[in-house]
Amino acid sequence: MGGDHVVSADRISGIFFLLLGLAMYFVVNPAHIEAVEGGSLNPKTVPDIISLILALCGGLLVLKPTTHQVANLQNILRTAGYSLLLVAGLFAMSRFGFEYVAPLLAFAIMWFIGERRPFWLAFGAVGMPALIWFLVTQALGRALP
Amino acid sequence: MVDYATILAGFGDAFTPFNLMFVLFGVLLGQFVGAVPGIGPIMAMAIAIPFTFGLDPLPAIAFLVGVNKGGLVGGAVPAILMNTPGTPDAAATALDGHPLAKQGKPLKATKMALFSSVTGDLFSDIVLITVSAPLAIMALKMGPIEVVALMIFAFSILAGLIGNSLIKGIIAAALGLLVASVGQDPEHYTPRLIFGYWDLFDGLPLPSVAIGMLAISEILRRMSLAHGNVKSGIITDGSQTPEDRRVSWAEYWACRYTMLRGATIGTILGALPGIGSTAAAFMSYAMTKAGSKDPTSFGKGNLQGIAASESANSAVVGANLIPLLTLGIPGSVGAALIISAFMIHGMQPGPLLFEQQGRLVYGLFGAMLMANFVNLWVGQLGLRFWTKVVSAPESIIFSAALLLCIVGVSMATSGLFGVAIMLIFAIVGYLMSTFGYSLVIFIIAFFLGPRFEKSIAQSLALTNGDLTQMLKSPVAVALLVLSVVSFVYFLRKNAQAAALETKM
Repeated sequence: MGGDHVVSADRISGIFFLLLGLAMYFVVNPAHIEAVEGGSLNPKTVPDIISLILALCGGLLVLKPTTHQVANLQNILRTAGYSLLLVAGLFAMSRFGFEYVAPLLAFAIMWFIGERRPFWLAFGAVGMPALIWFLVTQALGRALP
Repeated sequence: MVDYATILAGFGDAFTPFNLMFVLFGVLLGQFVGAVPGIGPIMAMAIAIPFTFGLDPLPAIAFLVGVNKGGLVGGAVPAILMNTPGTPDAAATALDGHPLAKQGKPLKATKMALFSSVTGDLFSDIVLITVSAPLAIMALKMGPIEVVALMIFAFSILAGLIGNSLIKGIIAAALGLLVASVGQDPEHYTPRLIFGYWDLFDGLPLPSVAIGMLAISEILRRMSLAHGNVKSGIITDGSQTPEDRRVSWAEYWACRYTMLRGATIGTILGALPGIGSTAAAFMSYAMTKAGSKDPTSFGKGNLQGIAASESANSAVVGANLIPLLTLGIPGSVGAALIISAFMIHGMQPGPLLFEQQGRLVYGLFGAMLMANFVNLWVGQLGLRFWTKVVSAPESIIFSAALLLCIVGVSMATSGLFGVAIMLIFAIVGYLMSTFGYSLVIFIIAFFLGPRFEKSIAQSLALTNGDLTQMLKSPVAVALLVLSVVSFVYFLRKNAQAAALETKM
């Protein structure tokens, strides 16, 4: 990765924290923190100070970035893909339950990682969820999601 | 403060077959997952904590102590056999352990790692047991004003030591504090930043945030790296002579000063928040190499190199509990996880812990001592087996770990809402580590946030809103001066590092 990209990585995160801090201070904190009369410390005081620190440090980072390098974009996109898979799995779990979704989710994860060996695929998709089911419902007596 | 009857009762509680069984389970699990590259004891603890809910506090904590200690021994196995450390602190072990394995002596290397790890760990546990109660007595004399100053000092050290940039360290700490302010405010108990989700009224659940940031984000990162490249196992050579499979007493005794030095370095660094076992391992290794009569033999399979790094990184674990038990400040991610487990089981770490739950604390110490001996015993028997574990495919490990995290967090938070929060923080954690922000600072700030704010509120109430009254407390002044000194020191250090990078 070239030098320009190296610098821009810190600038991107710096801009994000600058905007986050300002948005929290001017928009979110006033709207989502109840105003209280009296007491020694207003509920808004600490979040407001922290928001300003975030904005200030974000601004400083934009001005004085380090040489930190970001992993390649392809890895970030892959991670986004896996995250979406997990979100979909979680949504399906809330509808159909762990017992039905976990084997499919485990299989999909293993398949996307690149696992093609039938034994390991079967073990991961059937054996592991079954072991977890046994551990949680039978050994610990708790409910699965 | 703690009488002998409480100490003896605590140790008596610990040394029961029932607790021994949980320590054994913990050590077995810790060594197993530690041997798997990419999992490690931190992730194992994060996953294991929700599964201890149904247990009494002592067996639950004994189990987690076993996982933590076992993980350190297991972490050396992939470092030595594959040059792929299971834990970052085992990287120094790989410097000499892997060359020794390549010479056909993998069992000798792993056994030396086991013996020196247990030696270093035992040393730091004895220091912990000896110094923590007197330190807690001193800490008890501190009021809210001193606590605020102490936390400012802890943050100034954490921000400088852990991150490669002070600004990024402050951002990570500020973000952790901001996230900690979600829920009811500590003085008026009014809802704050809950966006209509009343599930958030008690704050963001610690298991969701910790497991999302530390375990899931790391699994996501490693899955993207492993994509399309499922690692095959390694083959270990079975034709070794008996001398190559064991460490003789003479070889162990020859490393005694190295292990003592490593254990001392690990204990001192472990007692300071934020430095961590990786720094201790490399510092001990470098000092041993520098003091050796034959420094050229290091990096080529020298047993002293393995002893130096393993004794130091294991000594950090016990010492990490010194600031946690005496001040309630976690010095590392592992300690932050242990503190969350303590709280789940009704323990409130801090100086009052010795007074209010002294018996449980000494039960914990007993479990730690027990875990050292179990670690040695299980390690002796299990090392041959753990060498096979490193060949398990990553695809199975990652999918199983993800399912366990989902189930564990749903049990901890009583539903999928906590799991959804876990996923959000997994993505936040991944992005933070990708952009070079310290997750350790974030988690510790998140944990300390409510106490920090409460101490500020109490200090303001005590001083009628005049914080200059803090200057009347010599302890608070000393801590604030130290905070400024460390802040200026790290600013200058960063400026020098930045200047050096610019020249290069």
